[in-house]
Amino acid sequence: MTFHQFAYRNVIRNFRIYAAFFMASFFSVFVFFIYSMLMFHPEIENGHLGKVPIGGMVIAEMILVLFSWFFIFYSMKAFLESRAKEFAILIHLGMEKRQLAKLIFMETMLIGSLSIAFGIIFGYAFSKFFFMIVREILMLNELPLYFRWEPFILTIVVYFSAFVIISVISVNFSPERKIIDLLKWYQYADVNDRFSKKRAVMAVVLLGIAYILALLTNRVNFYPFVVLLPVLITIGTYFFFTDTAQCIVQWMKKRKHYYWRKSKMLSIAEQTFILKNNGKMYFVVTMVSAAAFLCIGLLAALSSYTSQYDKLNPLGLIYKGHIDNPYEKQHITSIVNELEQKGLSYHLTRFEVKKQTSSFTNYEVEVFRESDINSLLFSYGYPMVQLESGEGMFIPYSEESIKKLSKRTVHTVLKENNVPITIDRVYPKVIFPSSIVSPNSIIISDEDFLRLKNPYSGYPRVEPGYHLFAFDIPQWLEAQNVGLDIYRQVQKEYEKNRYGLPFYFENAGLNYSYVLSMYSLFTLVGLLVAGVFLLAAGSFIYFKIHTNLDSEKRKFDVLKRMGITDGEIKRLVSAQLFPQFFLPWGVAMVHSIFAFLALQNLLKDIANISIVKEIVFAFSFLILLQIIYFYLIRWRFIAHVKN
Amino acid sequence: MAILEVVDVTKVYEGKVTNRALNQLSFEVEKGEFLAVMGPSGSGKTTLLNIISTIDKPTSGEIIFNGTNPHLFNKTELAYFRRRELGFIFQDFNLLPMLTVEENIVLPLTLDNQPVSLMEERVKVLAEKLGLSGVLHKRPDELSGGQAQRVAIARALIHEPAIILADEPTGNLDSHNSREVLELLSKINKERNATIIMVTHDPIAASFCDRVLFIKDGEYFNEIYRDDRRQTFFQRILNVLSLLGGRVGDLSSIRLP
Repeated sequence: MTFHQFAYRNVIRNFRIYAAFFMASFFSVFVFFIYSMLMFHPEIENGHLGKVPIGGMVIAEMILVLFSWFFIFYSMKAFLESRAKEFAILIHLGMEKRQLAKLIFMETMLIGSLSIAFGIIFGYAFSKFFFMIVREILMLNELPLYFRWEPFILTIVVYFSAFVIISVISVNFSPERKIIDLLKWYQYADVNDRFSKKRAVMAVVLLGIAYILALLTNRVNFYPFVVLLPVLITIGTYFFFTDTAQCIVQWMKKRKHYYWRKSKMLSIAEQTFILKNNGKMYFVVTMVSAAAFLCIGLLAALSSYTSQYDKLNPLGLIYKGHIDNPYEKQHITSIVNELEQKGLSYHLTRFEVKKQTSSFTNYEVEVFRESDINSLLFSYGYPMVQLESGEGMFIPYSEESIKKLSKRTVHTVLKENNVPITIDRVYPKVIFPSSIVSPNSIIISDEDFLRLKNPYSGYPRVEPGYHLFAFDIPQWLEAQNVGLDIYRQVQKEYEKNRYGLPFYFENAGLNYSYVLSMYSLFTLVGLLVAGVFLLAAGSFIYFKIHTNLDSEKRKFDVLKRMGITDGEIKRLVSAQLFPQFFLPWGVAMVHSIFAFLALQNLLKDIANISIVKEIVFAFSFLILLQIIYFYLIRWRFIAHVKN
Repeated sequence: MAILEVVDVTKVYEGKVTNRALNQLSFEVEKGEFLAVMGPSGSGKTTLLNIISTIDKPTSGEIIFNGTNPHLFNKTELAYFRRRELGFIFQDFNLLPMLTVEENIVLPLTLDNQPVSLMEERVKVLAEKLGLSGVLHKRPDELSGGQAQRVAIARALIHEPAIILADEPTGNLDSHNSREVLELLSKINKERNATIIMVTHDPIAASFCDRVLFIKDGEYFNEIYRDDRRQTFFQRILNVLSLLGGRVGDLSSIRLP
């Protein structure tokens, strides 16, 4: 038997031992390859999704690479640790350190090559399926399977180098241990429970400050906070697991009446031990899970935005132009023609909006006419407005503003024409999207409107009013190609510094399709990254448990002899595993909840949407997944220690 | 009165190679007796101990413990039986590394949900008797072998079991610590009238007992009782062991024909 044969037989005949490591590597390669297939897709490269998505995908891919390297490194370390006894026997028999390094290197390369090969084969096989999903999400016409060498080369290069580097590092930089220790039971039992009280307190303080700051986040202090908060959270979390958790366990141990009860003593004492050995891993799992939660939460928030889009943008098409807009007639005719060509039913309302100066604020106010509004409301099917002379009504610019404005009563005079108005109501629904009307818009009765003869005189160069053409289209999604030329002119003008066109055009259907495709891309990237993160976080825990399985079995053998019932074994295992699964997750959950509270504060200022419902839903789903995972591992664990 | 009766116990391990570990073994243990079980490697000593401690079931025959057969209990009853009636001392101590010495000692009582006051009281008494008062708050890995075994003995005694089962308790100890542990066991046997069954290889260890039972290839071979002097008892044990060692003519096969 040559040395090569020895390495080969080691792997092939003991594949069960290598399986966990193989699966971790295989899955990393698999995901990476599929993702590369998408990234190098000719259709996408041709600019189907614009420049931003490709950039986003490259960033996601880089995160994926860095993370999967770390992931492989970690599983490799855990794997080597679980084989420490085997290596000890080899060294005992006279194997040199150099030979051992060579053995591990060869084995790793063998598993690595296998996992790269299988990852690519399965990846290619599942590419078509993945493309079909992407096509559905991005609403592309087609996304065919293709063959190019780039994704293959990229995957092979990235992972081959990963395996070479990682196997060299993990062998040469692993701490030197005595053979005698390796052969003993509880080989790495670092059972001292020392911790620093100072750091324990510091962790709590840091986390507390970070949470309070998160609650205080707003648009002004957003940027400094975005830098500061993660730093505080990271340091705080680290010390939380290394010191604070120990401190809490120690405190529990001091209360004998609680601690010396049934199997509680074992499970609590076990926590000291687990925390000491796994504190750093918990820290990594927490941060990774928090990142994944943030991804998922952001997606949920985005989906909430898209689902509320309809409500925020009640109009299909809006054309807004100056009073002396020369293109008005031409544009409106072309839009109407296009709509009729497509056979879409629509209801057109023409508004003449006048600007006036309000004596209350001394600023401009945009004034709408009652009968114009009623015409639009009729087509919406909303309740009509009834106003007497001298009465006014606010037009809400967002859902949130309805509540705010309803409590307000304003007595004002429209200065230019000396028309007194009392505004004491608000229309209970959003009529116009916030980009069209100013926050200071009111409806007045027809009689009062006719009295507005003198134009706005506040600022000489500001337009005294505008014409608004509101197209209410029930099937607004299908009108996304209507008025494309006008839309392009508007877009082009937007890229300039000053908006100089006498008109403005908005197509809700088209905007929605952009929002949707951006959202889909984020979904794609976010879900993938979150999925990989969560899986990795779960695997870390699994590896750690797997490594200690033998000594656990020994422990339970002793306990069984001393007389422990099956029910108690189950309870003990649960108590032992529960914190491993849910402590890092719980902390990550709390972190992300505070992150979302900050985000909610921020969004209230910007997009005015509520993300609570979506976040709660997403998180409950995650918790459910974790519970299932917990029971799965618990079941395997119990089966192992019982026989 | 016999506290333990082993009646025609046979244990066959089925597998790729069928192995008869115990064959029709019968003996009795009296209350307050200190019994040593001796025999060469592979004679079935550990199997016997496992069957007595109910973690293994005999293929045929039965164990009568205080008039009942624990092998008829269900799993939970068995666990309760073990935690209340049996105490264990192992060759490699098997102290749980994450518990302190004190916690290791009270473990059987915590499992049985006894009041804390009782535990503290008994720990105090035992620690004093076994000379462990100074190390109660240390961890098992900070102890010497002799101390560790004394902790294990304390753990085996704290719930005042009916029988203490010891599996090579001196196997990992030096002569000084061995002697200490054995004297301790025989003191406990006398003072508390505790019944101890000890499996051992070591004739010196066996000479501390009241009776030595020899088994060979899973069968009863011989037994001898202690007399007034330990020295002569030791000599008699050696005599039996030399008989046990092999057959006449065992070595002749070395000679070539």
